[in-house]
Amino acid sequence: MAIKTILVIEDDRFIGEMYVRSLKKAGYDVDWMVDGNDGLIAARNKPYDVMLLDVMLPERRGGEILQILRGGAEDLIPHTRVVVLTNFDQAEESRLAMEKNADAYLIKAEITPKKLLAVIDKLGQIGK
Amino acid sequence: MEVKDGKKPDIEPLNRFWPNYHQRAIFIAMVSQIVIILLVILIVLVFYPQPSIEAWAMMMVVAFIVLVTAAAVTNALLRPLRDLSAALVHSAGERSSVPPPNLNANYYKRMHLRPLLQQVLELASDQSEKRASEAEADEKTSTDGIPDIAAQLNHTATGIIMLNEKREVVYANKSAPIHIDGEGKKTMELIFDVDESIDQWLTDRGEHDIHAEKVWKRVANKLTGEADRRLYDVFVSYEKGSGVETIITLLDRTDEYQPEDDDLDFIAFAAHELRGPITVIRGYLDTLNDELEGTIDGDQKELFSRLIVSANRLSGYINNILNASRYDRRHLKVHLTEMTIADIYDTIADDMRMRAAAQQRLLSVQFPDGLPTVAADLNSMSEVLGNLIDNAIKYSNDGGSIEVTAGVSGDFVEVSVTDHGIGMPANVISNLFHKFYRSHRSRETVAGTGIGLYISKAIVESNGGKIGVRSVEGHGSTFTFSLPIYATVAEKLKSTGTNNQAFIEHSSSGWIKNHGAFRG
Repeated sequence: MAIKTILVIEDDRFIGEMYVRSLKKAGYDVDWMVDGNDGLIAARNKPYDVMLLDVMLPERRGGEILQILRGGAEDLIPHTRVVVLTNFDQAEESRLAMEKNADAYLIKAEITPKKLLAVIDKLGQIGK
Repeated sequence: MEVKDGKKPDIEPLNRFWPNYHQRAIFIAMVSQIVIILLVILIVLVFYPQPSIEAWAMMMVVAFIVLVTAAAVTNALLRPLRDLSAALVHSAGERSSVPPPNLNANYYKRMHLRPLLQQVLELASDQSEKRASEAEADEKTSTDGIPDIAAQLNHTATGIIMLNEKREVVYANKSAPIHIDGEGKKTMELIFDVDESIDQWLTDRGEHDIHAEKVWKRVANKLTGEADRRLYDVFVSYEKGSGVETIITLLDRTDEYQPEDDDLDFIAFAAHELRGPITVIRGYLDTLNDELEGTIDGDQKELFSRLIVSANRLSGYINNILNASRYDRRHLKVHLTEMTIADIYDTIADDMRMRAAAQQRLLSVQFPDGLPTVAADLNSMSEVLGNLIDNAIKYSNDGGSIEVTAGVSGDFVEVSVTDHGIGMPANVISNLFHKFYRSHRSRETVAGTGIGLYISKAIVESNGGKIGVRSVEGHGSTFTFSLPIYATVAEKLKSTGTNNQAFIEHSSSGWIKNHGAFRG
C-alpha cells in the first residue's frame, strides 16, 4: 500500500515545520497538529496512512493518544502506521508504547528529514 | 583507672549523693523551722505569759503545719536536683532507688529542665562508653558497668541495621532508613538497582561464602524528587550461621553527594535543551545540502560539509554529556539485540566519512566476512565507535590514515580503531578513561571535553564488553572494544525478556548494566 496521507502531531514548531516541509516536498499529503487533543481529533476524523506522533505534547501525551486509539477492544485506526517520535530521555516510555501500539519509533535528535523520508518509504514497502 | 575484683575502691559511687543530700536538706529545713517556731513561742510567752490550753493546742497545730509544709516545699524544690542526679546515676549504670527521669514529663518542659537532663545523659553516655570499653578490655563484663548498647546506638548518626538469616530486620537504630508498615514489620528503605541489590548479593553469598563484605556507594532511600531523600554509603558484612547474619552500616553522605546530584541535574537539563536547536540545524543542513546540490560551487560545497560535520560533532558531544550525566545518576540503560559490527558502523558511516574527508584523513573501514553477530545496544554502541573514530581524527595529522577493523577473540568480537598520530606515553594511558581527563599536551593543542572516553568505557561495559588502548608515543594509538558474540549470550538474553535485566555478569562496573531499553 502506497503511503499518501500523513498526520504529524508535534508541538515544536521548528521541528514540525521541518518535517512537514520535507514530507510535502516529497509529495505526501500532510496535516500537522500541535497539541494532543487536536491530534486525536484529526486522527479519528480522517484515515491517514501514517501518523508521526510526538510523546511529550500539550493537552494529551502521545502515549495517551495511542492508548485511546489502539488500547481498547477495537483498533480505531486499523489502516494507519504509527511512528512515535521521541526525545532521548523518554526512550523507555516510547519503547513501551511502540511494543504495544506503534509500528515504529524514532529518536528526534537522530533523525533528519532525509532519514525520515527513508523510514516512511520503507514503511510503504513493508505494507500493512 | 584501677579496677580490682570488679570493684572500684577508689571511686565513691554516684548513687550515694542523693539520699544523703536529700536527708540533709530536709533536716536543715526542719531544724530551721523548729528554731523559728521556738522563737515565735518565746515571743508569745513574753507578751502572754500564761496561755490557755487552747492557745497551746493552736500553736502546736500551726507548728505541725509549718513543719510538714517545710518538708514538702523542700522536697519539691529539690526535684530537679534529684532528677539530675538520678539521670547521672542511671547513665553511669549504677543502681538507684529513684527511677530514671522520663524526659517527656510535662514537669521538665515547664521547668525548662529537659535540655539539662538531655545534656547530662549525652555527656554521661560518652563517659559510660569509655567505661564500658575499659571494662571490656579488662574482661570484666559486669552488667552494671556496661550501658544498654541498643539505646546508645540511637545517639550515633550512623545507621545500623541487623538482619537475621531470613533477612528480616531484627534491629535498626534511629538513624537507619527503615520503613515500618501497618503491621509493624520493618523493612529497609533503600533503592538498589535490580541486579545489584543487597538481597541479590546476600543470595549469592548464601550459596558461596562464609564471610563476606561489600560496600555500595551513593545509595538513596527515596527516588529523585521525593522529600527527605538521603544518600548513603552502605557497608554490609555477612557472617554465615551467626545469630545476626548481616550487619549493615550506613553513612549518611547526603551533604557530599547532593550538590553533585544537583550539578548533574543541571548539566542534563542544559544538554537536553541544546538538543532541540541542534536537531533543527542538522535537519535543515541535511535538507539544504540535498536541495542546493548542483547550484553551489565546489568551495561552497566544502563549507557546507564543514557545517554538517561540525553540527554532527556538536550533537555527538551533547550525547556524551547526556549519557555521562545519566551514567553518573545511574539512569543509563541499554537494550541488547542481535546485530553485526557493520550494522553499528552503518548508522554513523556517512557522518564519519564526511568528518574524515573534512579533516583530510584517510578512513579505511574493513570488517572481515563471516564475523559472528554480537549482542549490543545499537545507538549507544554507534556513539562509542563514533567517539573512537573522532578521537583518531583529532589526534592524528593531515593525510594520516585511520583503520577500523574487527576480529574474533574468544567469546567476543573485538573492534579496533588505529591511528598513526601523536600517540601517548604510558602514564597518560592509565588515566585516559577517567572523566574530564585530558593529557597535558592535548589540552594545549586539541579541543575536547575529556568525557568521550569516559562514557565510551561506561557504555561498552554496560554492553558486556571491555575497552582498552595500546599506544606508542609518536607512532599512534589503537583503541579496541569488545562485544559478546550473540550466540554466547542468546539464551540469557531470551530468559531475561525484552529488558535484558541482570544479563551481564562479567561487567566490571556493577550498576550500569541492563535495566531495559536505553534506546532502540
